[in-house]
Amino acid sequence: MTRILLKNKLDDCIVTWRNAGYSVLAPVKRNEMGSFSEVQKASDMSLDLILPERTIKDRFFPQTEPMIRYKISKQQIDTETMTPPDTKSVCFGVRPCDAAGLEIDDPLFGWDYKDQYWFKRRNNSVIVTITCTASDDFCMCTSVKLSPESTKGSDVMLRPLSNGNGWQVETITERGKALFDSVSVHLSDEKAETAALAQVPVRFNVEQVMEWLANPTSFESQFWKDIALRCIGCGSCTFLCPTCHCFDIQDEGDTYNGIRRKNWDSCSFANFTMHTSGHNPRNTQSTRWRQRIMHKFNYYRGKFGVNSCSGCGRCTRQCPVDMGITETLQAISNLPR
Amino acid sequence: MGIQEQYRSEAASLLSSGEVKLVIGFGAGSTADRRRPLFARTGEEANRFVLDASCIANLSTYLLTEGLLSDGKKVGIFLKPDGIRSINILIAEAQLKPDQVVILGYAIENGQLTALEGRSVADFNGVNEKIRSLALPPAVQQDIERLEAMSPVERFQFWQDQFSKCIKCYACRQACPMCYCRRCIVDVNQPQWVNTSSHTLGNFEWNIVRAFHLAGRCAACGACDRACPVNIPLRLINARMGREVREAFDYFAGESTDQKPVLASFSKDDPETFIL
Ligand code: SF4
Ligand code: SF4
Ligand code: SF4
Ligand code: SF4
Repeated sequence: MTRILLKNKLDDCIVTWRNAGYSVLAPVKRNEMGSFSEVQKASDMSLDLILPERTIKDRFFPQTEPMIRYKISKQQIDTETMTPPDTKSVCFGVRPCDAAGLEIDDPLFGWDYKDQYWFKRRNNSVIVTITCTASDDFCMCTSVKLSPESTKGSDVMLRPLSNGNGWQVETITERGKALFDSVSVHLSDEKAETAALAQVPVRFNVEQVMEWLANPTSFESQFWKDIALRCIGCGSCTFLCPTCHCFDIQDEGDTYNGIRRKNWDSCSFANFTMHTSGHNPRNTQSTRWRQRIMHKFNYYRGKFGVNSCSGCGRCTRQCPVDMGITETLQAISNLPR
Repeated sequence: MGIQEQYRSEAASLLSSGEVKLVIGFGAGSTADRRRPLFARTGEEANRFVLDASCIANLSTYLLTEGLLSDGKKVGIFLKPDGIRSINILIAEAQLKPDQVVILGYAIENGQLTALEGRSVADFNGVNEKIRSLALPPAVQQDIERLEAMSPVERFQFWQDQFSKCIKCYACRQACPMCYCRRCIVDVNQPQWVNTSSHTLGNFEWNIVRAFHLAGRCAACGACDRACPVNIPLRLINARMGREVREAFDYFAGESTDQKPVLASFSKDDPETFIL
């Protein structure tokens, strides 16, 4: 039996979840920017966005995160470990690519050391994804073998009804099932058709890309110099990416008092690989762009068995000079071979 | 012959005659309404240039790419009046030699393109005379007025809401032709002068640093504003800083190539209102 969540029952669900101690996060467009923010009611949500500018990743791996408070005096050194609060959250209205991004990053944050900041939030949250019935020129989930209805990283999948009144509920995990069991009285059992999924064309052949990248001669190819000419080396594509995860650790304060923080960092920046000596092994933008592509479609897969891209297209959508993963991978799959 | 065809063939002949080693212009982008920077080294590549009303980016930021001009050779570049203005500022600040730039100038008015006469920097005095009267786009002008009408508390709240969105991606800086420091102050990390944290306070620090560094230097091209991936209306800050400088020193950045940079020069007539 498929169950239906009607839009006019969403407020009741939000109340139930909030009363059970969940904070409810959803895409919200505020001050000309879409991001996952806490909502009190359904009308706070902007569920018609194809994708908010900011990803759900931000709620698990924020741009700046306090880790340790330190105090140094003549007598002693005091440190206090700062961990995120124990709040449970429902992430509502996530898109399949953003949800997949979380699962793609799990092995990275849990590889040799379990990152307590990431996993505490991961374990405390339920991802409620809505399948896509619309896409834009930049969406490319199907090119990386995902789709507007892939369930990777999701606890619940909602499928919009064709009459626009609500969603068909499909629970994927135990956690998702428990969340929707708790609002069972607000769900209905009507028979309703689901809307057609977005048609996202396959924009490149990822197998060919992976094969070319894995070829040792590709590393020094002139290709990188040509394609990266116009890249201005900002952090847009990495910071808005649901799978980019690099960070830097910085002490903020002075020698005696301060906070050690985990701050986003980006392989697009010259400082990223700058040695203390002043030597920089990636001293041109093309070597940095090559790193981004290689990391996503070669090294990451080598280590964790998946590509570090979920196809959201933000890197192209938001790039100030219209670069992005799509163009580069298209160019690679079109290289003469 | 339309302006696009005219400039394609001019770019091609500049390249094939060896007068320039590179022409920086626009090519087709990933969607019908996007244009992307295109770098042509051969006449054939110059045939891919696109020039239409969507070519609004200021390409002059590429001229200061490390190593590009160090061989003394010339580079051709497609520029609108705001781009020419930014080149004037760069020349006045001794970052660019005028004889290394060949300008393919164009203006966009009401969606119509016109070619600007001239090729060398010195040919554009007519444009320079008009720079002071170039109006900001009406939408920007409206936003400026809306901000000016606010109380200081409201205005502070406005910027707090905006800056809290910042992620310190530095796209604004990278897109800006005036942000040419080889090592921006926020990247000076031995020791770290400015905290890297992107919390609201840190974002204020960054955006105020940039606003001060651009006072009397901004060409009002809007590159930072368009580059910002979280839609912070950055040009409003620089417009206000430009107004302060104009009112205090009657100085308008980029009117000529031999201006003395306002904050790096001194005149005994400078107002000293801030000295107690
Ligand atoms: S590809 Fe675009 S968004 Fe990414 S670093 Fe280069 S200019 Fe910035
Ligand atoms: S190396 Fe670059 S591409 Fe890879 S995760 Fe880090 S920032 Fe992202
Ligand atoms: S690389 Fe680009 S398309 Fe892939 S997940 Fe990141 S931002 Fe999205
Ligand atoms: S482009 Fe926008 S988000 Fe990026 S650093 Fe500048 S103001 Fe911040």
